[in-house]
Amino acid sequence: MNSSGATTSSATSGPSDTVAPRRNSKRPKYSKFTQQELPACKPILTPGWVITAFTLIGIIFIPIGVASLLASRDVVEIVYQYETECIPPNARNNKLGYIQDPTTNKNCIATLTVPKRMEAPVYVYYQLDNFYQNHRRYVKSRSDTQLRSPTNENDTSACDPEDNTANGSPIVPCGLIAWSLFNDTYAFSRNNTTLNVNSKGIAWKSDRNAKFGSDVFPKNFQNGALIGGAKLDPRKPLSEQENLIVWMRTAALPTFRKLYGRIQDDLEANEKLSVQIANNYNTYSFGGKKKLVLSTTSWLGGKNDFLGIAYITVGGLCFFLATVFFVVYLFKPRPLGDPSYLSWNRNPAGH
Amino acid sequence: MASERPLLIPSTRTPCSPSLQSPQSIPFPGFKPISTTNPSSAYTMDRHGSLDRSGSLSTIQEIPQNPRVLYSSSARTSISSRSNRSKAAAGRNSVEEEFADVSLSSLSIDSLNLPRSKQLGSRGGGESEVFSASQKEINEENARFIYLNDPQLTNDRYEFAGNFIKTSKYSVFSFLPRNLFEQFHRVAYIYFLIIAILNQLPQLAVFGRGASLLPLAVVLLVTAIKDAYEDWRRHRSDRIENNRVVEVLAMEDLQFRLKKWKDIRVGEMVRVKTNETLPCDMVLLSTSDPSGVSYVQTINLDGETNLKTRYAKQETLSLAKDGVISTVAVIKCEQPNRNIYGFQANMEFEDGKRLSLGPSNIILRGCELKNTDWAVGVIVYAGQETKVMLNSSGTPSKRSRLETSMNREIICLSLFLIALCTAVSTCFGIWLQGQNDDDLDIMPYFRKKSFDEDGGNYNFYGLWLEILFMFLMSVIVFQIMIPISLYISMELVRLGQAYFMIRDTELYDEASNSRFQCRALNINEDLGQVKYVFSDKTGTLTENKMDFQRACIGGLDYYGRGTSSNEGGADEIAVKVNGEVWKPKMKLKADSELLKLLKSPGETPEKRQAHDYFLALAACNTIVPLPVETREKGVRLIDYQGESPDEQALVYAAAAYGFVLLERTSGHIVIDVQGEKQRFNILGLHEFDSDRKRMSVIVGCPDQTVRAFVKGADSSMFGVLSKSINSDLVHVTESHLHSYSSLGLRTLVMGMRELTELEFQQWQSDYEKASTSLIGRACLLRSVAGNIESNLKLLGASGVEDKLQQGVPEAIESLRQAGIKVWVLTGDKQETAISIGYSCKLLTSDMKQIIINSRSKEACRKSLREAKALADRNQLRRDAQETFSSAQEPLALIIDGNSLVYILETELEIELFELATACAVVLCCRVAPLQKAGIVALIKNRTYDMTLAIGDGANDVSMIQMADVGIGISGQEGRQAVMASDFAMGQFRFLVPLLLVHGHWNYQRMGYMILYNFYRNAVFVFILFWYVIYAAYTVTTAITEWSSVLYSVIYTSFPTVIVGVLDKDVSHKTLLKYPRLYGAGQRGESYKFKLFCWTMADTLWQSAVVFYIPYFTYRVSTVDISMLGDLWTLAVVILVNIHLAMDVFRWSWITHAALWGTIVATCICISVIDSVPYLPGYWAIFHFANAASFWLDLLFIVVTALIPRFVVKMFKQHLKPSDIQIGREAEKFRNPSNQPSQVTVELQPVVDPVRR
Repeated sequence: MNSSGATTSSATSGPSDTVAPRRNSKRPKYSKFTQQELPACKPILTPGWVITAFTLIGIIFIPIGVASLLASRDVVEIVYQYETECIPPNARNNKLGYIQDPTTNKNCIATLTVPKRMEAPVYVYYQLDNFYQNHRRYVKSRSDTQLRSPTNENDTSACDPEDNTANGSPIVPCGLIAWSLFNDTYAFSRNNTTLNVNSKGIAWKSDRNAKFGSDVFPKNFQNGALIGGAKLDPRKPLSEQENLIVWMRTAALPTFRKLYGRIQDDLEANEKLSVQIANNYNTYSFGGKKKLVLSTTSWLGGKNDFLGIAYITVGGLCFFLATVFFVVYLFKPRPLGDPSYLSWNRNPAGH
Repeated sequence: MASERPLLIPSTRTPCSPSLQSPQSIPFPGFKPISTTNPSSAYTMDRHGSLDRSGSLSTIQEIPQNPRVLYSSSARTSISSRSNRSKAAAGRNSVEEEFADVSLSSLSIDSLNLPRSKQLGSRGGGESEVFSASQKEINEENARFIYLNDPQLTNDRYEFAGNFIKTSKYSVFSFLPRNLFEQFHRVAYIYFLIIAILNQLPQLAVFGRGASLLPLAVVLLVTAIKDAYEDWRRHRSDRIENNRVVEVLAMEDLQFRLKKWKDIRVGEMVRVKTNETLPCDMVLLSTSDPSGVSYVQTINLDGETNLKTRYAKQETLSLAKDGVISTVAVIKCEQPNRNIYGFQANMEFEDGKRLSLGPSNIILRGCELKNTDWAVGVIVYAGQETKVMLNSSGTPSKRSRLETSMNREIICLSLFLIALCTAVSTCFGIWLQGQNDDDLDIMPYFRKKSFDEDGGNYNFYGLWLEILFMFLMSVIVFQIMIPISLYISMELVRLGQAYFMIRDTELYDEASNSRFQCRALNINEDLGQVKYVFSDKTGTLTENKMDFQRACIGGLDYYGRGTSSNEGGADEIAVKVNGEVWKPKMKLKADSELLKLLKSPGETPEKRQAHDYFLALAACNTIVPLPVETREKGVRLIDYQGESPDEQALVYAAAAYGFVLLERTSGHIVIDVQGEKQRFNILGLHEFDSDRKRMSVIVGCPDQTVRAFVKGADSSMFGVLSKSINSDLVHVTESHLHSYSSLGLRTLVMGMRELTELEFQQWQSDYEKASTSLIGRACLLRSVAGNIESNLKLLGASGVEDKLQQGVPEAIESLRQAGIKVWVLTGDKQETAISIGYSCKLLTSDMKQIIINSRSKEACRKSLREAKALADRNQLRRDAQETFSSAQEPLALIIDGNSLVYILETELEIELFELATACAVVLCCRVAPLQKAGIVALIKNRTYDMTLAIGDGANDVSMIQMADVGIGISGQEGRQAVMASDFAMGQFRFLVPLLLVHGHWNYQRMGYMILYNFYRNAVFVFILFWYVIYAAYTVTTAITEWSSVLYSVIYTSFPTVIVGVLDKDVSHKTLLKYPRLYGAGQRGESYKFKLFCWTMADTLWQSAVVFYIPYFTYRVSTVDISMLGDLWTLAVVILVNIHLAMDVFRWSWITHAALWGTIVATCICISVIDSVPYLPGYWAIFHFANAASFWLDLLFIVVTALIPRFVVKMFKQHLKPSDIQIGREAEKFRNPSNQPSQVTVELQPVVDPVRR
C-alpha cells in the first residue's frame, strides 16, 4: 500500500516490470558455486562396491602379511641378557653397590652361539628395558642449540639439573640425556680372533652434519657430584661422538635398542662368539634390564612378526566380511532408492 | 500488576447486554462541529445555536445524573458517537473502528437538501464494554498525575523518566567487563581461560605462556570487536534519536521553542508538525483541524500503514488558542504499560470539570503525524516508559539449539578429561610411591636432587604436590579434548552457510529487489529443526494488496475483458479538482464491456443498475481519500486510506469505472461520477457487525432522493432482498458468487433501497432514539438497521482478491508435509482469517473447526474443555481404527484475541496448549502483538520443539523475538520486523527452500561437524593418553608440540569447514520433492547423544589402533621418539581425514582439494618441522620414510581403524536405511532421465521457480 509513484499497478503488473533491466538489481549472480551446484561425484556404497572393497583389501593385505612374516622369519637375532649375569654371584645381593663402586672391575665374558648363518652386516645393539628415555623431565633436559654451535654454549636453561658446573660454567653437552650416556662396551672375538665392530656411521648422517657441531667440544662433562654415565673425549667434536648422537635420539618407549656398531663379517651357524662386556651402566637403581643384541636385517627391518600376522588377520577378516555381506545381500536384498522404504511409507500411522 | 497486563483487551461486542452506568462514568459529550468544510459556521452554530434545533433527549436525560454536563454547550447531539469513542476502552477494535468514526461521528444533513439539520450517529455495538471499561476508576495509588504544561509540578512528587532513550548495551567503561562477562557465558571459554591460567604457573608450564593464551585471546578479541561495532551503531542511532528536535511550549512566554527530544519532560506540551515523528506518548489537546482530528500513521508501532484518526477533546480544543492552552488542568492516567491499544486517563480542570480520555486521545511515540498541519499535546509518558519502548523488549541473543545441546556433550568430554587426568596422576602417584627415595635421586631419567652446591631438589615438590601438578599438567596436555577450534569452525561454517543462503537465487525477491538476509549468524542450523511456524497473515501470507477482480451486475459476470489502462492517458481516470489533476493511486484493469455500458448514451435499466452498483461501491464504506503530491506538478494521486483493504479495493474499482471518491467529510462525500462532481450527504451509517454481517449508509443524493446502500456477506444479504425481484437473477448471482469464492475471491453483495419520505422519517426518528438511548443501544441500533436493511434491490456482487503471495498455498502444503505445524496469528477479523485460511490451503473442507470465541474466563474454560474432549475423541477414534490416514478428521482451532486474554498467562494456558497441539491447524485472530509472543511462548516453554515466527510488521516484532527463529518479511510494512528478525526475506514461500533445503543442509552439516570435531580431537587426546601409559605417566608427548598446535589448525580444520559449508546429503530437488525428509532435522537425527556415544566408542577404537599398531611394530627397536611421533601424527591426520572423506556425500573439486590438500599440507608441515635442526626431531621423518615398515604401518592403521565404522555404516545403510539415504539412492539410481514420464511429474518441485 505504501508504494509510491504513478506506475504502481496491481492488475497489470507482470512482464512489463521484468523486461526493463534493473540497473541496481540485487539479484545474486548465478554461478554453479553460489548455487551449490558444482559438478560433484556422489558416491553411494552399493553392495557391489562394498564386497569389492573388502575383497580387494583382503587380496592386498594377505600377500603383504605373508611377505612381512617371511622377511621377519629370515632375520637372525641373538639376544643376550646380561644385567644379572655380569655381576659376580657374590655381589648379586647388592647390585647397586657393586655398580656404583668405581673401583671394581666390571668386565665379564659371555659366549654367544650363532643359531643360523648371519650375513654381514650384523648389527650390534644394546637393549635397555624399563628405561624411560621418554620421561618428561628427561626428554626436556637438553639443549639442541648448544649442541650445534659453540656460540650457544651458555644456552643451558632447559638442562637443569645438569646445566652448569658448581662454578657456573656451562656443561657441554648439558642435560640429563647426555649425562646419562650409556657406557657399557662390548668386545667381540671369534675363535680367539677379535671381531671388528665398526662403530663409525651408526648415527644419522643428518645428525652428524647439521645437529651436532663439528666445532663443539665436550666441556665440564661428568664433572659433577654424581656421574650419570659415559665420559666423552673432550678432544673429539660432538659430531664425531656417534654413541652420544645415537643416545641423544631419545627412545620412544621404555624398551629400546640402540645401535652399538656393525660387524662387517658374516657369522656362520653354530659359531661361538665370545663377548667381553664392560658392565658399567647403572640400570639397577630402576630395575632395568640390559641386553646385547646381534641381528641381521631384512627389507622390513628387524625381527618382528607382528606386522605380518596383523596383515594376514585383517586380510582374512576382510574376506570374511565380504562373504557376510554377500550373504546378507543375497538373503535380504533391498532395491536401492526404493521409496517404499521411506519411514513414512513403512509405518504410515506416523511417528 | 493485573491492571497493567498488556494482553488485557476487552472484547468487542456483547450483543444486547447493556450495562448500568454509574453516575461518574457518564461521559462528557463530545463537542463536534457539523461540517469540516464549513467549520466556522458549524462551530458557532453549535456553540451558540439554540437547543431547540435538535432532539435533546440525551441532554435531558443526562442532566440529572451529571450536572457538569451543562458546561458543554454541545451536549445535545453527537453524544453517542463522540462519547463512545472517547470512552473507547483499550482494545484494538477501537482503533479499527476509528474510520467508522470519522464518517459517523458528526453526521449532518445538509440544510440545502433537507429542511432540518440533524446529527445522527450509530455505532454497531460495543457500548456496554466501553462503558464498563471506563467505569474502572483509575486507582489513586497507581495513577500518575500530569499537570498541564507544568513539568515542575508534574515531576515534583516523583521524577518520571525523561525522554532520553538508550538501546545500546555498553558504555565505554562498562564495555570490557560486560562484554567479557557475556562472552564467558560460553562454558568452553571459561575452561580455556582456566587452562591458560594454569599454564602460567611455572611448575605447569607445558606450553609457552603466550602460546597458550593466544587462541583464547584471538577468539575473545574478534567477538569483542564485533560486539563493539554493533553497539557503536546502536549508540549512534540513539544519539540521532535523542538529538532530534521538536517544538515545546515554553512556560514563561507560552511560545513554542525547539527542544531536543532527550530534554523533553513529562507534563510539557509539544507541538508536532505534519510528517514529524512523535517524540513521546502524548495526550492530544488540539490540532490544526477545527474538529480536533489528526491523522497518524502507526507503522513503526504496529506495522499498519493506513492512517488512524486521533482526536483532541472538544473541551481542550475549545480552550486552545493557536494550540496554546494556558488553563490549569491535571491528567490522571494509568502507569506506563505495554498495551499500545489501551489508554485510560481522565483530565480534571480547575473548576472541577472532568473529562475522560481513551486510546483515541493519545498519540504514541514512533507514530508519524500525517495530513494534519500540527497537533499539540501534553506528554504523559516519555523515554523508556513510552509504549513503543516498553514493547521493544530488547534483542535477546539467541543461541542455536544445537549449540545448547552441545554443552551436554562438552560436559561429557570434560568428564572424560577428568577421568583421563585422574588416571594419569593416580598412576603417576603409585609409580612414585613404589620407588625408593634414594633410587629417585640417581635414576638417570628422574633426578630428584639437583646435586648443586645448595643441594636442593630438582623440580620435586613431594608426592602429593607432584600428583596435583601431574593432574593439572595432564589437563593442559589433554585440553584439546574440548575443541576450542570448534567454536571458530562453527563461526566459519555459519558464515559460509550464510553466504550461500544470501546468494541463493531462489531466495531473491524480484518484487522488492531484496536478497535473503542473515542477521543472526549463530542460529543457521536451527532452521533445520523447526516444528512450529507462527505466521502473520497480512503482508506475510498475503501481499497486502487487495484486487477487485470480478463484478456481477444484474446477473452478468464481468471479469475484465479487454484492457483499458494500457491504452495511455486517454482512458486514464483523471479528475480535475481546483485546477489540479487527481488520479486514483491504483489503476485497475477495467472491463471494456462494462465501461461501454456505463458510457452508452441513454438510460437503460442495465446502465442504471451498473450506475447504482458503482455508486454503492464508492459510497458504502468508510474510506477517506487523501490526495498525495507527486513529482509532476499539478497532479495528485488519490490514496484511499481505510481500515479495510477490501473497501479500498472496492473504492479503487469504482474509481476505475469513473466513480471517483474525492472527498469524505463527516457529513458528506463528493464523488466524481463520470466527470461530474456530485455531492452526497451521509445521513446515517450502520456499521458492519459480525451478527448482521453487512453495513449500510443512508445517503441523500443530489436528485433529492434518499437511498440506503447496503453491502454485506452473501449469506446475510440474500435474506433481506426484496421479494419482488426476479428469482432467476438471484440464482444467477448466487452461482456467480459460488464460482468467485471457489476461485478464492472474497465476495460481497451490494444492495440498495430507495427510501420514501415516510420511510426516511420513520428511520430517522428510530435512529435518533436508538442512538441516544442509554440502555441497550446496540440492540436498538441493530434493530433499526434491520428495519432499513430489508426489501433491498440486488445491485450485484463483487469478487475481491486478497492476493495471496505467490506460492503460499503450495508453501504451506510443503511445510505441512514436512511435519511443520503452521499457525497463523493475525490481527484480522475471524471471518477474514478463516477465508484466508481456506485460500492458502491452511484450512481444508475436511477439517473440523473448533472456534473459541469467549468473553469470560469461565466460558473459555468451558469451550476449551469441550474442544479437548472432541480432540480426545478424535484421537481415540484414530487409534481405534488404526486405518490409514484418510479416516481421521483433522482439527482446526480458531481462537480469538479476546479469549486469549483469559487464557494466556493463566492456568488455562496448559489446556490451550494441549488442545492446540492436538489440532492440525491453529488460527488466532484479533491478537495483539504481545499475545502473538504469548502464543509462541506457549509452545516454546512447554516443548523442546523449535519455533519459528515469520511476520512483516512491527506488530510481529515481539513474536519474532520470542521465537527460536525469527524471520522478517521485508515487504510493505516498514523495517521493524526485519530489524528484529534473525533472517529477513522477501516472500513467505521462500520459507520452503529456506527450511527444507538450507535449513536441512545447515543442520545436517553442523550436526555432523560438531560430532566430527569431538571425534577428531578426542582421537588425538586418546593417542596422547595411550602414550602417557608408556612414558611413566609423565604426560610426555611423542607428537611434537608444534604438531599438537597445528593439529586442529592446519592438519584437520580445513576439510571440516569445507564439508560443513559445502556438503549436501541430498540435492535440493529431492528435498523439495520429499518434504518429509525434513523430519530428519526435527527428530535431531544428525546430532544426538546416542550418536555421540557411538562416536566416542569409535574414537577409542581408532585411537587404540593408531597408537598400538606402531607400538607393537616398534616395541623393541631403535625407533626414537620423534620418528614414532611423526608416524602417529601422520597416521592420525590421514585417518581423521579419510574418516571425513568416508562421510562426505558430495565430492566436488573443492572437497577434493581440501581433503587431499590437507593431507599434503600435513606432510609438508611435518617435513618442515623435521628440517629445523634446533628441534630434537631433526630429519626424523625422512629417515623413517625410508623404512618399508613405516608405510605398511600407515596403510594398516588407516584400514584397520576404519573397518568397524565402515561395517556398521554398511549394515545400517542396508538393513535400516534412513530416509535421507533412500533419497540419495533414489537421486542417483532413479534418475529422472531413466523414467521420464512418471518422475518428472513427481519431481516438479513444489516451489521451484525456473533457475536461470
